[in-house]
Amino acid sequence: MPIRVAIFKPGLDSHYRGALTISRHLASRGMEVVYLGNQLPAGAARAALQEDVDVLGISSLSGNHLATVPAVIAELRAQGGQNILVVLGGIIPDIDRPLMFEAGVQRIFGPGTPLEHIAQEITLLVRERDAADASVPIGSPL
Amino acid sequence: MTSGIVGASGQAVIEEMAGQVQRWREEHGSSTMPTWTESGIPVPPLYGPEDAVGDYGTQLGVPGSPPYTRGVYPTMYSGRAWSIRPLAGFGTVEDTNRRLRLLLDEGATAINTVFDYPTNRGYDSDDEWARADAGLGGVAVDSIDDMVDLYDGVPLDEVSVSLVLSHPVAAGAILAMYLAAAKRRGFDPARLSGTLQNDFMMETVVLTAPSVLEPEFAFRLSMDVTEYCTRHLPRWHPVSFTGYNYREAGADAVLEVALVVANAVATVEAMRARGLPVDPVARRLSAFFTAGSDLFEEVAKYRAARRVYHGVMTERFDPMDERSTRLRFHVQTSGSALTAAQPLNNVARAALHGLAAVLGGAQSLHISAYDEALCIPSETAALTALRTQQILLSETGVTRSIDPLAGSYLVEHLTDEVESRVRKILANIDGMGGLVRAVDTGWVHARILDLACQATADIDEGRRPVVGVNVSANQAPTTVETFDVPETLPKQGERLMRLRSNRDNDAVTNALHRLEQCVVDGTNTMPALIAAAEAGATLGQCCDVFRHHHGGWRQPLR
Repeated sequence: MPIRVAIFKPGLDSHYRGALTISRHLASRGMEVVYLGNQLPAGAARAALQEDVDVLGISSLSGNHLATVPAVIAELRAQGGQNILVVLGGIIPDIDRPLMFEAGVQRIFGPGTPLEHIAQEITLLVRERDAADASVPIGSPL
Repeated sequence: MTSGIVGASGQAVIEEMAGQVQRWREEHGSSTMPTWTESGIPVPPLYGPEDAVGDYGTQLGVPGSPPYTRGVYPTMYSGRAWSIRPLAGFGTVEDTNRRLRLLLDEGATAINTVFDYPTNRGYDSDDEWARADAGLGGVAVDSIDDMVDLYDGVPLDEVSVSLVLSHPVAAGAILAMYLAAAKRRGFDPARLSGTLQNDFMMETVVLTAPSVLEPEFAFRLSMDVTEYCTRHLPRWHPVSFTGYNYREAGADAVLEVALVVANAVATVEAMRARGLPVDPVARRLSAFFTAGSDLFEEVAKYRAARRVYHGVMTERFDPMDERSTRLRFHVQTSGSALTAAQPLNNVARAALHGLAAVLGGAQSLHISAYDEALCIPSETAALTALRTQQILLSETGVTRSIDPLAGSYLVEHLTDEVESRVRKILANIDGMGGLVRAVDTGWVHARILDLACQATADIDEGRRPVVGVNVSANQAPTTVETFDVPETLPKQGERLMRLRSNRDNDAVTNALHRLEQCVVDGTNTMPALIAAAEAGATLGQCCDVFRHHHGGWRQPLR
């Protein structure tokens, strides 16, 4: 089963070159990618669930990550998408990175990260998650 | 051709030199690797006279004369330096006013105000879409009151003010607020000089937003502004074609120029359809280019752009006023060519980018700050960028002689190549029915995205070296202090509450109703926008009217 990925721009951040180039690259690596455009946190979570994605990619270059990323992850959890992996790309100052990981972001890809590295990391993350899921025997308490 | 760059008497000399170059190629050519410029123009390791001998009069001419290859004004920097126009804008109007005044005090000669994400897209700071981005990427402006305070203390009839408000959804409303604010402060609008960005490509191609206007309507709004300015604001540039941003989105230097020229053609045609002759429109048009890392291609780009622009405007519109065919432009050095890794390297990069701009004859310049890839420029970074301009201007001697690279075999050859490649794209766009159609069908999006992906792949796979990224990338990480944008939303929220409770809300409703009538019946929206601004309508209220009728266009991405 191909890995399913949704990518969006939170709020009014409008620089979508990175979001589009990574979308195209992931698709070229056999993933199913949907680009969701600009979204508010609740809308992004809803769309990710509707699209049944493995990974939700947030692309933020405007500096709105502190206000949007934790809210997106909270919405994902509230709507039942805790299994969806969240990765973040864009301009995230070093000082904010711990906060992003604490909020539940799995990986952060800054400017200049090779696209293939991102594809490999996403593949790895999904494999790890699926392996962890499979190691839990059916019927056992979570 | 007998009269060449080296002069008529030099033909025999040229042939002798060409023979020498040919012998060099035979001897050494096989031991050199082929190279290309960033736009894919092949560059052999040695150029000779035969690569650059065109007709001096028709290809180059003197500065201030057609075809303006060597500059749009007769004396260029030996008469007047370029405008030092550093970009500034963040947080609230008070925050930005302080930064603008600092830059003016420290040597800036013109103002360049960038608006935050919500303002550029036409949302009030307290809108649910806007809240996370208020004060980011520029200054938050919601109403005429903000505009009054933004330029507090600035003599608007003396300083040229550039408003970096690119999206037509909001450009007219922001200009309306600027005009109304200037009037409130006692300035005559007819005496205001400056530039509004106002490019429909920004709204429809280059950037994204939640509710994008249809290209045709975005273009119509930008033409409303252009028409209004042409009729009422003799010292204002109503539009600045944003080649810079086409490039940041992925276009190469050739496509950057082609789209700017195509946009100018579309503009003059649209104004003619509204009954305005070419001259009053064309002489106020302006452009905005980037300066990237490929030094000689960038210089050639500016020179070729002036020549193509002159040629195209002359051929198509046969203007009477020679100013109508002169391409005047501001340059901002590339943001996307700067790196987050090893940020201090960007001081050197931006200086070289700035050098390309002034070797190419820019009218106005902003040099990007070294922390561009990390944050809004800190004061130190902004001042370093300003000082870089001053070093270029006063230490390097670049202003002594006009168009100093003219006659360089390489630069003349690249200028010719850029020109002919731009011409091909223009013919292609004509074949599609013009630029607005080329946007509507997604052709422009696809071209830009293809080039963006190619550029990323070239860097990722090491074909395009970037120091600190794919070359010498193993240095221990260096960090610079990043700038924190001051808290904006609570302050803007308070200002908006105060505005909403103090204004005459019936007057606002009436003004918005009149605006809606203009949208529906096709009359120019600018007078209604000015009336709405004066009544205290917020930016979001005005732009909602546009979005309600023409928003929700799906950008054709694939």
